[in-house]
Amino acid sequence: MDKFSFKDVLVTVAGLFITVFIAWVLITATGNNPSEVAKYLYEGGFKGTRNIANSLYQATPLILTAVATLVSFRVGMFNIGINGSMYVGALYAGWAGYRFTGLGHFSHVTLCIAIGMFVGAAWMLLPALLRVYAGVSEIISTIILNFVAVLFVSYMANGPFRADPIAPATPRILETAELKQIFPNSQFNTGFFIAVFVAILAHFVLNKTTFGYELRSGGDGLVGMYPSRFSSYLGIPSDRSAITGMLISGALGGLAGAIEVLGAVRYFFQELEFNQGFDGILIGILGKLEPIGAIIASLFYGAIKNGGFYVDYKTDVAREIIIVLISILIFFVSAQKIVKGLEKYPIVKKLDSIFSRKKM
Amino acid sequence: MEWIEIFDISLLRSLLRSTAPIAIVGLAAALCSAAGVLNIGLEGKMLNAAFAGVAASYYTESVWAGLAAGVTAGLLTALLFGLLSFTLGADEVLAGLAINIFSLAGTTYLMRTIWGQAGFFSDPRIVGFEPIHFTFLEGSFLEPFLSDFTYSVYLMFFLAVGLHIVYYRTRLGTAIRATGENPEAAEDAGINTVRIKWLVTIFSGALAGISGLFLSLENLTMFTEGMSAGKGYIGLVASSFGNNTPLGTFGASAFFGLGDAIGIRLQGVYELDSRLILMIPYALTVVVLILIGIRQRLKVRPVPIPES
Repeated sequence: MDKFSFKDVLVTVAGLFITVFIAWVLITATGNNPSEVAKYLYEGGFKGTRNIANSLYQATPLILTAVATLVSFRVGMFNIGINGSMYVGALYAGWAGYRFTGLGHFSHVTLCIAIGMFVGAAWMLLPALLRVYAGVSEIISTIILNFVAVLFVSYMANGPFRADPIAPATPRILETAELKQIFPNSQFNTGFFIAVFVAILAHFVLNKTTFGYELRSGGDGLVGMYPSRFSSYLGIPSDRSAITGMLISGALGGLAGAIEVLGAVRYFFQELEFNQGFDGILIGILGKLEPIGAIIASLFYGAIKNGGFYVDYKTDVAREIIIVLISILIFFVSAQKIVKGLEKYPIVKKLDSIFSRKKM
Repeated sequence: MEWIEIFDISLLRSLLRSTAPIAIVGLAAALCSAAGVLNIGLEGKMLNAAFAGVAASYYTESVWAGLAAGVTAGLLTALLFGLLSFTLGADEVLAGLAINIFSLAGTTYLMRTIWGQAGFFSDPRIVGFEPIHFTFLEGSFLEPFLSDFTYSVYLMFFLAVGLHIVYYRTRLGTAIRATGENPEAAEDAGINTVRIKWLVTIFSGALAGISGLFLSLENLTMFTEGMSAGKGYIGLVASSFGNNTPLGTFGASAFFGLGDAIGIRLQGVYELDSRLILMIPYALTVVVLILIGIRQRLKVRPVPIPES
């Protein structure tokens, strides 16, 4: 994968402008006032401590699912099942949160997170093995497992793990398992720092270590294709790195779910709905499959997502508009030929070389 | 009631009804896969068509307007997919995924913004398709097998046989298969592979549209958020299980339909958790994926990769 280049930024910014224009048309067409929507979007995303805290809270799982996406993509696997990992990770982290008593704060949180990550990774084992040893597309198997996950956790919250006779929910996690919420009236919690730390760690591991190199060699430069033969010529077993990458990806999905339960909702209930696994795919692509890019894109997405909730509350415009617009933006960003087409303009080429020299 | 008693005519009818949407979108998937296009975006096409069909039927109170709108929605989504993948060089998988996420959010957005409804939209003004009753079959032993199904069931048989003929009896079918099997050789033989890919994409868009439209305008006449519920993906698995051939895909879809039909019947017989029943199609899909894996393992031995 190329590093960020000027033409990528150009396409993203141009795409952003066109997307804003489409948004304007869409909002007007459905009988609403675009400038009003823009105002609430801004206020909901950035105005005041509480909204900023909430924006960061929204960004927390997104950072992790985006990193989960990019890790799998960069080993040459399309893991679309991060949402499923998130669900099972959240369920079992919540279970560990009330099941184990008499532990210290640090050890209990660590245990819950470890269990969430383990279950999230285990959820990806079957697709990884099927892909590597039997050539079954991991894209389809992971997508289908998302549907299984939703029904499975819903069944568990309703049956075996159910505590409340009225509502289908697990018991509340113990205080020792909680990730602390820092601001009043906000679900922002210390999980945010875990997410950022993990993303930075992923940056160093992927780009600066031999292990990261071995992982990447299966898929780098070949996003969208299957693990290349290239790495096997170098003597790096691409099968093993594909499986490892897939399991790391699942573990990060599980971590995202665990943080949601330990830090924000504090118990698992049937109606708990996650879609950050899917958002993470979009964000991972927006961030050009780089962990640092994922942090930046997640902060942006978290803010407009939180702004979208405020818009939904204040106007008739439904919050799904945000996802609609981000996916339109992805259409532009993923169109490789637009990016390539820009190369024929000398000015772009020149700026590109200046831009990449600065990065060195 | 004994469990064996669930295997009766009404199970067969339920099987055919459950098979139809998967088979139609599965045939669309088979067509794409045969030409070497991995069309993840079928799910989004179904959903857009289901929405457009309900919207048009609601505003015009005509089921045919609903049909036209649904097919158009499927075609337009296919056009977007083709434009991104073939013209603008986007990765097929990314384009398909983005389209699916776009369609799920887009239809939910429109439903909530236009009609102010969350979850589902249902209205007496939405006209749906009625089952077709064949008067000439009345009293015949064939009546319970053939009569009083909705359009999708008949269409499914027609498409499976029709596409089989196109695949193996026409130049176009040969061109499609050649494009998928060996694009370079196909180009050398004078086949415009990009044009073939466009053709199957557009046609499969129409098929996925029809399949999605029947979801919202046949037995239910309503739109629910994400109502395609992975049928586009299950169709892809069915096509893969059926070796991307029309009749194979049809058979594989019937397998999914059978699982669905048995699940629905068992629910009436035993007190089963509804979530476990809902899980049947997906669990079955996972089983089928494992079977595909086993078949591929038996067929080709993977090239051994040298260990360091």
